[in-house]
Amino acid sequence: MQPNPSMANDALVTATQGHTPVSAVRSTTWRAKLGLWAVVLACTLFFLLPFLAMTRFALQNVPTIRLGWSTLFENWSLKGITQAFDEPGFGEALGLSARLAVGTVLLTLGLLLPTAIWVHLRLPRLRPVIEFITVMPYVIPAIGLVAGIQVVKPHARWFLDSKLSLIPFYVVLTLPFTYRSIDAGLRAIDLRTLVDASRSLGAGWGATLWRVLLPNLRTAVISSTFLIVAVVLGEYTMANVLLRQTLPTFTAQYRQREPQGGYGLAVLSLVLTIVIFVLISRFTRPKSGRAQGSPVLTAAAPGPIPAVPTEGDPS
Amino acid sequence: MTDAVLTVEGGRTTSAAPAAGLQKKPRTFAWIGLLPFVAFMTLFLFIPAISVFAQALRDLDGSFGFGSMAEAVKDQNLDAFKFTLWFSALCAAVGTVIGSLLAYAAVSITRPRWLRNVVVAFSGVAANMGGILLAFMFLALLGRQGVLTKVLTFFGLDLYLDHGFGFDKIAGLVTVYSFFNIPLMVLVTLPAIDGLKPAWREASANLGGTTLTYWRRVGLPVLTPSLLGGFMLLFANSFSAYATASALTDSSRIVALRLGFFLGGDVKVGEDSVGYSLAAWMIILMAVSMAVYWVARRRAEKWQG
Repeated sequence: MQPNPSMANDALVTATQGHTPVSAVRSTTWRAKLGLWAVVLACTLFFLLPFLAMTRFALQNVPTIRLGWSTLFENWSLKGITQAFDEPGFGEALGLSARLAVGTVLLTLGLLLPTAIWVHLRLPRLRPVIEFITVMPYVIPAIGLVAGIQVVKPHARWFLDSKLSLIPFYVVLTLPFTYRSIDAGLRAIDLRTLVDASRSLGAGWGATLWRVLLPNLRTAVISSTFLIVAVVLGEYTMANVLLRQTLPTFTAQYRQREPQGGYGLAVLSLVLTIVIFVLISRFTRPKSGRAQGSPVLTAAAPGPIPAVPTEGDPS
Repeated sequence: MTDAVLTVEGGRTTSAAPAAGLQKKPRTFAWIGLLPFVAFMTLFLFIPAISVFAQALRDLDGSFGFGSMAEAVKDQNLDAFKFTLWFSALCAAVGTVIGSLLAYAAVSITRPRWLRNVVVAFSGVAANMGGILLAFMFLALLGRQGVLTKVLTFFGLDLYLDHGFGFDKIAGLVTVYSFFNIPLMVLVTLPAIDGLKPAWREASANLGGTTLTYWRRVGLPVLTPSLLGGFMLLFANSFSAYATASALTDSSRIVALRLGFFLGGDVKVGEDSVGYSLAAWMIILMAVSMAVYWVARRRAEKWQG
């Protein structure tokens, strides 16, 4: 949600209610209100039921065919979740996913921070061009990109055969969000003054970047990091087509053999993802005003395309 | 040596552009700083994308031409495109309607106060929830052995036998994809709905307009660009979804899956170049939808000052 300047007069109302005046003023009849509540409740059910169903399969070992009132409380255990850890291949898959996540974070920050700072300082007029480039992954979805990789593969086997060669492509997949987030961070600070001050006090570029800019861009860096971790831990499309054993591809195969264990791993990943997104919203929440938009939306606001990774990315 | 020269030159540049206090090097060299980024994007995004088109733009004998592109939209491939276009449009329509209703509800229901924040925060998570986790959730709920399937059977409604339900069918795909489409639509339309000023509604009422008049003459016209943009975004999102579909079904009528099978060498779609033509058509479709989305969003921002 973007703050509306015309609402400045109602700041008091906003402060006391923690809500936008628009909604406070809007008159809705009780019948309309009932209809809207019906929408909210129906959506709540729609989003909650699949999660509950998956959790049941993860925690309860009773075939659906036997499911009924008499078996409702039978065979609940954490076995589904714990047995996955002993499964051969699980450790390697988790390890690969972890290395991919760390590599993607490092490469993203190493590439984007200097570039974004440079563009802001020296080439402000090119900002729209760079922004346009960074949203190109929306046009070329993961499955399209992986088709391209297959074409290029015979010419670059030395690189593309390596397990970690997914890293640069994951950087590309998360780019629309990460660049937007860092760009927004740079807009929020007085970059030129900070750099001038730091430089005139004798700091080199390295020290300026590390000790002055990085702390000021903390929010952008942290939220980008979390988002990358969430996306990489869930990315399925490229890993599956390129036959890499990452956590998601392992989970998918494991569920075929061992349904309860597969659902258990899925529940774990899901909870982890939710925690990551809650953390992102904690870190990116503006300090004033409780009724601000979501972090994803806030990061998306300045640009033409919301920084919501589409299905192709996290999957 | 070089430094000294540049500094002297920089002195001139600085005096010419007073705002640029830091300008030590002349502008002409500034683009060099972009080289790593541009090189990276070229290597890992543009070269793969261009090579897809290089493979796709071939006649069946291997020479340059549009033969494969034409072949990719014939017979079975055409059937897959028709099916995918149709269910993606339906997914987008359902997501647009329910998503904007939910966004409207989140804005206009003022009690309890936390409702709006919860809806927005949840949408941020769920819009990112594509992939195998989503597929597993719905397999657990509505699969052949799913919990809800079982409950409905108990009440005499057999989804699979009586209604031909399946995750490779339109109803199944629309249900599952709505899980990320609805929240995405909430995120896209919420700012637009916030931009509807109460004064407009009062003005409409003062001039004798009913609620219906307000929506038909004011509300919907203002929201149209956002709704249209959202629709295109959801359409693109549904069309290119691979991971969710892949974990749900192995129907080669879904273009993304068909492409995946081709890349894995599982399905023959014609010559190799025809397979890449599938990818090329997909990228073209994405480009068109995103361009429409882009233009629509520009228009929508007019009312969100």
